[in-house]
Amino acid sequence: MIDTTRGRALATEAVAFALASGAEQAEALVAASDHALTRFAGNRIHQNMSSEDTEISVRAVIGTKIGVASTNRVDPQGLEDCCGAAAEAARLAPEDPSFPGLPAPRDGEHADRVSASTLEFDAARRAEAVSAMVAASTETGAIAAGGVARDHSVLAIANSLGTDVAMTRTTVRATVLSTGAAGGTGWASFSGRDASGLDAAALGTMAADTARRSADPLELDAGAYTVVLAPEAVADIAQFIAWYGCSIKSVEEGRSFMNGKLGQRVTSPLITLVDDALRASATGLTFDYEGQPKTRVALIDAGIAASPVTDSYWAARTGRPNTGHALPAPNSQGPLPLDVAIEAGDAKASALIASVKRGIYVTRFHYVNIEDPTRVTLTGMTRNGTFLIENGELTRPVKDLRFTQPALEALDTTLGVSAYRQLVGEDGGAFVPYLLLERFTFTGRTA
Amino acid sequence: MRSFTQECLDAAVAAGATYADVRVTDSRTQALSVRNGVVEGVSSGSSFGFGVRVVADGAWGFAASSEVTSDSAARVAKQAVAIARASATVGARPIVLSPLEPHTGRWSGPCVIDPFSVSTEDKLALLFDADEAMRAQSGIGLATGSMSFLQERKTFASSEGAFIEQDWVESSTGIACYAIGDGDVVTRSYPNSHGGACFQGGWETIVALDLAGNAPRIAGQAVELLGAPLCPADTTTLILDGSQLALQVHESVGHPTELDRVLGDEAAFAGTSWVAPGDLDTLRYGSPVVNITADATVSGSLGSFGYDDEGVPARREDIVREGILAGFLSSRESAAAIGRESSGAMRADGWARTPLVRMTTVSLEPGDAGTLADLIADTDSGVYMETNESWSIDDRRLNFQFGCEIGWEIKNGTRGRMLRNPVYTGITPEFWGACDAVCSRSEWRVWGLDNCGKGEPMQVAHVAHGAAPARFRNVRIGVGR
Repeated sequence: MIDTTRGRALATEAVAFALASGAEQAEALVAASDHALTRFAGNRIHQNMSSEDTEISVRAVIGTKIGVASTNRVDPQGLEDCCGAAAEAARLAPEDPSFPGLPAPRDGEHADRVSASTLEFDAARRAEAVSAMVAASTETGAIAAGGVARDHSVLAIANSLGTDVAMTRTTVRATVLSTGAAGGTGWASFSGRDASGLDAAALGTMAADTARRSADPLELDAGAYTVVLAPEAVADIAQFIAWYGCSIKSVEEGRSFMNGKLGQRVTSPLITLVDDALRASATGLTFDYEGQPKTRVALIDAGIAASPVTDSYWAARTGRPNTGHALPAPNSQGPLPLDVAIEAGDAKASALIASVKRGIYVTRFHYVNIEDPTRVTLTGMTRNGTFLIENGELTRPVKDLRFTQPALEALDTTLGVSAYRQLVGEDGGAFVPYLLLERFTFTGRTA
Repeated sequence: MRSFTQECLDAAVAAGATYADVRVTDSRTQALSVRNGVVEGVSSGSSFGFGVRVVADGAWGFAASSEVTSDSAARVAKQAVAIARASATVGARPIVLSPLEPHTGRWSGPCVIDPFSVSTEDKLALLFDADEAMRAQSGIGLATGSMSFLQERKTFASSEGAFIEQDWVESSTGIACYAIGDGDVVTRSYPNSHGGACFQGGWETIVALDLAGNAPRIAGQAVELLGAPLCPADTTTLILDGSQLALQVHESVGHPTELDRVLGDEAAFAGTSWVAPGDLDTLRYGSPVVNITADATVSGSLGSFGYDDEGVPARREDIVREGILAGFLSSRESAAAIGRESSGAMRADGWARTPLVRMTTVSLEPGDAGTLADLIADTDSGVYMETNESWSIDDRRLNFQFGCEIGWEIKNGTRGRMLRNPVYTGITPEFWGACDAVCSRSEWRVWGLDNCGKGEPMQVAHVAHGAAPARFRNVRIGVGR
């Protein structure tokens, strides 16, 4: 796979080609990836893959007309053809008077986020990790399924105003679902930069233990319950709020909960929701897809709707600062927060559970979707470890439940936030704690 | 291309593969979007590469690269074999593939007017006309339109002797408008939500939709919806339009009858299924009026092809016959696991991904209830819902909840007042078991879906569903009110 030096050279070369093709301004993104994933099910590896690719995307600007083209043919002819296509698309596009031009370069520190152990995490090592994750399930007569993914990627961005940034990243994600002989299921996952941080055996044990405890679930009636949400479940809620409500574009178009609410309380003061690619443990990019440095943005600050994220286009259009959250062009979504986090509290997760007289513990949700963007009303199912809490203890497994709940209203009832946080998911992911919510509405259950 | 694919296969076999196949795909795309009278994006793309899938030491391996050269053919094939050997170290059991006569052939999808030959100006003009027509309606705060095109050429070869070349074109378009009020926003789309309608075909499929002609209707409905009452909480009779039924079939019949899910291969990510292999020919999936087929031969459907990505010829099979489970979507390996032949449903999202069991054109077959107007006239009381807005279903595909863009009360056989944010929920076999009428073939059409996600790394499949409006009794609506 190409390195950042080669990525930068390709991006610079593409900008020159685009200018030679008639563009007045040009921007090039070079994205190279080496992705590998070992999947297992039924206690065996059933899919195992590796792929490598280098793609270049060029944005050509003529006046305020914009064209974009991309290709994975990165030889000189492929680059020239791609740049010509971008310039031609710009020539044919109508003017967009609101386009402010490409952004000028801005200073930022963009250190690589690379782990040597992850680079060495080959198919044989991934198989060893799978073997360790499966072991606890096979010992108990359970069946394990999951995956171990390893990514190595380079992104380089250049534009004709002098932007020239690049970054290499590695990420690892491991998941395990254990299904016990009695039908209970359990889940554990790991996301991070460094494969040496993966304790595969511990994940397998956690999933198998939860599966054992999940057998013979109780059928609870629908209704409002006090809940303790584990980080996987919190991640879904945090990302839906951030993605649907915290982009300046959705605010300007009247589709965000922030409309008319900036500066007002929208959740409990215990909740601070941020986008922060700069934190030490983050795995995401420290610049956006225009090469602008990302900044930490408090989206909800101690319960107050604080600020949406922006990019160069929307910053110019609204007079707000550019927070560095552009997506690759062409971008119909507007800027998005991709490195979401909820600030830690001071409670132990066990203490949050211990404080509940009667409630429900949720390990994770499944297939969450949004029903009303202005209230961030979400629906989804619980999955792989849902328990009744009685007098501070997890007493019985619960048959999976469907929730239908305005997310901000749920967070407005936050009673506790754990000090522990977990990185959940891929790319930037979500770095989130356990939450204790006084009121969370379940509207049905599975058969 | 034959020499390149043979190099891959030879290298894989030389490295120890007992089975190998290779796919080379070359794709080209174009996308255009407008928003409130301004172009939001005009882009094009291309992607070229190959993937080699092997069995070695009784386990699967797959490797792929965008470097389509002799050197990389050998390197990637060897890498696939090395990956397979690593797979074999954890719980390997012999891989059995259902028998298949290797095919040599060529297939092309339908296309009258090559969309890549149509000028960008003409495409944008069509979107701008519709955009202007939507914004002419007072109260519309936001109007959007988009169009996209795909051309793909694919070559498949296997160590069993198959060599197949296929090419096709896809076209899609849609418009949407938003009426935005005090703390509320409603959407209306045409011809469908989530990007619109998708076809295998050319520019002729776009023109036939008459975007601008339909724009005033949906804009008027959006503004009226903003002031309409919320859909009440109730348990009542529900009639769904074809586009919403397409997604209902997709989520509650298509996915749960994918045999890899049934066998547990997707357990950790997308989930499993409430259906078991032993349920075949005995499980009551729905009422006797429910007939569901999987057909990869429907002309113009996004779910059609000549051969799947294992070289199995396209075919039509029953999935549910008169309410009874009659078949699965399957691959050669999953079909062999239950003693059957592949249904020809292995499909990969491009050259860099290994194929998975995917839907083709999975359809609710037409019934005999006449037109939608006939069905409403035959309904004393209930709600009619149209156009999907949101969807969610549990990991065994049992408990689902769908939101639609628009609903109408039905009283005494007539369509009454409009209802905002209509939502319904149910349990798959109970819901299909409560289906008592499906409209006739005159109302039946195929709805393309180009956003079906499955697998890790995530793959997006282009599938389709035929449906006509249908009626369901005793459905819970207005959830969460």
